[in-house]
Amino acid sequence: MLRTWFKGILTYRPGRLLGSISGVALTVALLASLGAFIASAGASMTQRAVQEVPADWQIQLSHPSDAKAVKAAVGKATPYTALEQVGYADVKGLIATAGGTVQTTGPGKVLGISAAYRANFPLEFRQLVGANQGVLVAQQTAANLHVKPGDRVSIERVGLPPSEVIVDGVVDLPNADSLFQAIGLPAGAAPQAPPDNVLLLPDAQWQRIFGPQAAVRPDSVHTQFHVRIGHVLPADPAAANQFVQQLAHSLEARIVGRGIVGNILATRLGSVQADAAYGNVLFLFLGLPGAILAVLLTMAIASSGANRRRKEQALLRIRGASVQTIIGLEAIEALIVALGGVVLGNVLTLAIHRMFLPGNELIGKSALFWTVSASLMGFALAIAAILYPAWKEIHHSTVVSAQATVGRGRKALWQKVYLDILLLVISGVEFWRTASTGYQVVLAPEGITTTSVNYEAFVAPLCFWLGAVLFSTRFLEGWMSGGRKILARMLNPVARELSGVVSSSLSRQRLLIVRGIILVALAVSFAVSTAVFNTTYNAQSHVDAELTNGADVTVTGSIMSAPSTRFGELQALPGVAAIQPMQHRLVYVGNDLQDMYGIDPQTIGQATNIANAYFVGGNAQGTLAKLSKQPDGVLVSEETVKDYQLKLGDKINLRLQNIKDHQYHVVPFHFIGIVREFPTAPKDSFLVANRSYIGQETGSDASEIVLMRAKGNPEALASRAKTVVSSLAGAKVTDINSTQRTISSGLTAVDLHGLTRLELGFAVLLAAASTGLILALGLAERRRTLAVLAALGAKKRQLGAFVWSEGLVILTGGSLLGVILGLGVAEMLVKVLTGVFDPPPEVLSIPWGYLVLLAAAAISSTAAAIFGTNRLFHRPAIEEMRGL
Amino acid sequence: MIESLVELQNIGKIYWRGDAEETALVSATCSVKPGDRIALVGPSGSGKSTLLHLMGGLDQPSTGSISWPGLGTCENLRPQKVSYIFQMQSLLPPLTVVENVELPLLLGQIEATKARKAALETLNRMRLNTIADKLPEELSGGQAQRVAVARALASRPQLILADEPTGQLDHPTAQHLFDVLLDSLEGSETALVVATHDQAIAERMNTIWQMQHGVMEVVTC
Repeated sequence: MLRTWFKGILTYRPGRLLGSISGVALTVALLASLGAFIASAGASMTQRAVQEVPADWQIQLSHPSDAKAVKAAVGKATPYTALEQVGYADVKGLIATAGGTVQTTGPGKVLGISAAYRANFPLEFRQLVGANQGVLVAQQTAANLHVKPGDRVSIERVGLPPSEVIVDGVVDLPNADSLFQAIGLPAGAAPQAPPDNVLLLPDAQWQRIFGPQAAVRPDSVHTQFHVRIGHVLPADPAAANQFVQQLAHSLEARIVGRGIVGNILATRLGSVQADAAYGNVLFLFLGLPGAILAVLLTMAIASSGANRRRKEQALLRIRGASVQTIIGLEAIEALIVALGGVVLGNVLTLAIHRMFLPGNELIGKSALFWTVSASLMGFALAIAAILYPAWKEIHHSTVVSAQATVGRGRKALWQKVYLDILLLVISGVEFWRTASTGYQVVLAPEGITTTSVNYEAFVAPLCFWLGAVLFSTRFLEGWMSGGRKILARMLNPVARELSGVVSSSLSRQRLLIVRGIILVALAVSFAVSTAVFNTTYNAQSHVDAELTNGADVTVTGSIMSAPSTRFGELQALPGVAAIQPMQHRLVYVGNDLQDMYGIDPQTIGQATNIANAYFVGGNAQGTLAKLSKQPDGVLVSEETVKDYQLKLGDKINLRLQNIKDHQYHVVPFHFIGIVREFPTAPKDSFLVANRSYIGQETGSDASEIVLMRAKGNPEALASRAKTVVSSLAGAKVTDINSTQRTISSGLTAVDLHGLTRLELGFAVLLAAASTGLILALGLAERRRTLAVLAALGAKKRQLGAFVWSEGLVILTGGSLLGVILGLGVAEMLVKVLTGVFDPPPEVLSIPWGYLVLLAAAAISSTAAAIFGTNRLFHRPAIEEMRGL
Repeated sequence: MIESLVELQNIGKIYWRGDAEETALVSATCSVKPGDRIALVGPSGSGKSTLLHLMGGLDQPSTGSISWPGLGTCENLRPQKVSYIFQMQSLLPPLTVVENVELPLLLGQIEATKARKAALETLNRMRLNTIADKLPEELSGGQAQRVAVARALASRPQLILADEPTGQLDHPTAQHLFDVLLDSLEGSETALVVATHDQAIAERMNTIWQMQHGVMEVVTC
């Protein structure tokens, strides 16, 4: 009997079977792919964090004589791949004579490094001019002293006479913050600014110069070990952080009293940990609704055969089949769906993996865990969708009759207790609560190794989603029940003389129709919310990258080798839409050295986007016009305004370096506005003034930055610009695409593009399935009704009126509701996940192209289902009836 | 001479079940005239339903010719000139009784208000007005078939084809349903062809066509 049943299912129910298998496969593939993404994102974040750290540990020795013992202790605590001894010496200043003038700097640091240091820790410094060995001077120091390779610099030692060295090269110190960090400060202490003046000497020379200083002023000289440990770390950033901390603690226990460990790798992993948590939150927010939708879709597909299943069960029971036999027979269908769905789902996962995560191993531990979990979920879903309703049918047939899809129906329990309203109220309250705490979804307190996710923040969007869906169900059921006349009027163009009877028919089948509308709405809302969130994220990421990079392509250099000297050549490059010079000088505000940008306010906007949000008052055009009218006007950052208690209109005296005597002189400015952010400017303190005024007051109108707007590909333009400025010492060309990929936010480590491409793909599939498949299965269930109509004499157009009306009601209602719901969820997600954005978006970005594609998929799917049903009308009605 | 509503000449019908040929009807020749009351009797599978389907234009013959001199072309038979009453429950589940009854009129492009008026009149005539707003699932088997009869009558057709309309009803209910049908047709020129196993019903008709293995024989005229 089982064999006959099995054959019968395959022969007579291929449509429903394939539909259910597809639903289970989608669920399995979505869950497994999401899991693989979470696992691979965590691993790549850890990997990137490790790669970005210049030196994992900086161990400060209590006394140079402890070096041997500490080195041995490091080897015992963990295997390492590099260990370098570095000398640090404080100096009173540096002096150089250039162009007939004497330049003197303030206090600085002189480091002693071995010849192998650069090879072992390549991220610590970057060669700009001259040799990469010998006496190296930091770029800013070289600018302050006006020295170049071959010049002499006198080092003002502490407690000893000066010592002179000859400069071999100029270098950039991109990781000065960690290189000069204060080791041993308590967690959460204010960060220490790196020194303005830095010189690097070969270790032997350093020993000769500062050995005597260590004898007279031991407090001014100290020794560090810079260590790169073996990078066999757990893939998850949190676990890796904990592991690295444990290693450091182990070392600290071994070298108590001899040194302290600056754990730079753990600090970096700690910050990545928060990003990873955000990444997981994103996966959850964006991915989970898709998985829920796939489950609902499978349930809907499976239940579309409920009437037929009910009749089959009745026949089996009449012929004496036991409950056990009936369940056994239903289990065959469940098993076919489960096996088919899981196999197809895993094949799909493999294809997705190859498409979106090339190069990543799918056979990792975590990937295997997700694949197995998703497959088990697929099995559970098949059983829940097919076996459970069958079991319920047998045991509670009266309940089934009460759940008839046609009829006057009774209110469901959730409707009686107003669960929808309750959920919406909870959502509102929770949203308000989350907003009041500044949308802190991921909590990563300084100095604490664990990062926690505030899961309460999920409550608002989840309740909104559920509440809105239930409320929509209530509203639609009510409207379809009472608004028959309006529906008839709406269907008139399609159903014409039958509009009344069609609207009555749809109204009485409202449970089915509303279920279809809600499924379409869920699919569309999932697609819309994901797409809108993704587009907004990308747009903000672009804004962030543009702020950081300055423009599509930015050329930066120093006043001595200013890119503005190549302005004409750069302007003539193919692919340049607009070009603007911008000065970048250092200015003393009181005793603080801050960045000052000199611009032409009237034309700067041609080369880069100047957003309203950059200025307090939100009026970029107005603010720049004001600056243009007042030559000595200056825009000051919020932080500086606060620190110096400035008021609009105040005259402020700043000190700027003059090119003629290389000395800082007072230059008066008038404070005319507050600037929040500006292209290339740091986030905290900076100033923006007129380029012409700065040029006039400093004796040089050279611009250290050139901003270029690209007509086509910024990377191609950047490559051309590099050839133009290649002869300028230290000139650097960056483009917005590369910047966006590498810096904009820690979250770029999460392959959000891969995730969203995957989700958007799934969303289109789910939308197509929920429109077309559900409609087709619903219509297939009503083949008998349509055959009776044909037998009564309905023409093809009249039969089409029934089918088209149902399809259009489901498609239009579901799409409209879905778009509203999707925009609501996207708005809420953007608010709740505000920490992901830098800067936060002012408005949502709408992905019109994707929405058109989504609409096309839904419409095509609906049309395919309707035309498929229409094909049935070509067969004689009685033949159709006989076959049912 | 009275024009026939439907004329069948040497009609044959063959069904294919896979590769196997199954003859349902063999060279049937007959006609139906206005006012005829014809019973089609015979065992199951003898070709009664096939003959009715062919007469109503619901199916195509394999051999022979069929015409509707008094009705027009095959495309224009239903729903206004020929009505069908099925053995199985054929009311549309999502429509109320009155909506089911007015449906053939609407399909025949009668204006909605006129269709509703005609449907209500038919229901009144058949004393079904009390259940006009009920759904088919709220009706008994007998009520449902009476509504099906009302639906067949509402469009005032010239030919009613009833395929074992009482097949699923008990005997008294079946008799009552037939009383209603015949009463409604009293004095009308509407022809009625009924396929039935019920001898008592067959005997109330003017003509009996006996079917046996696809072969038709006129028993009484």
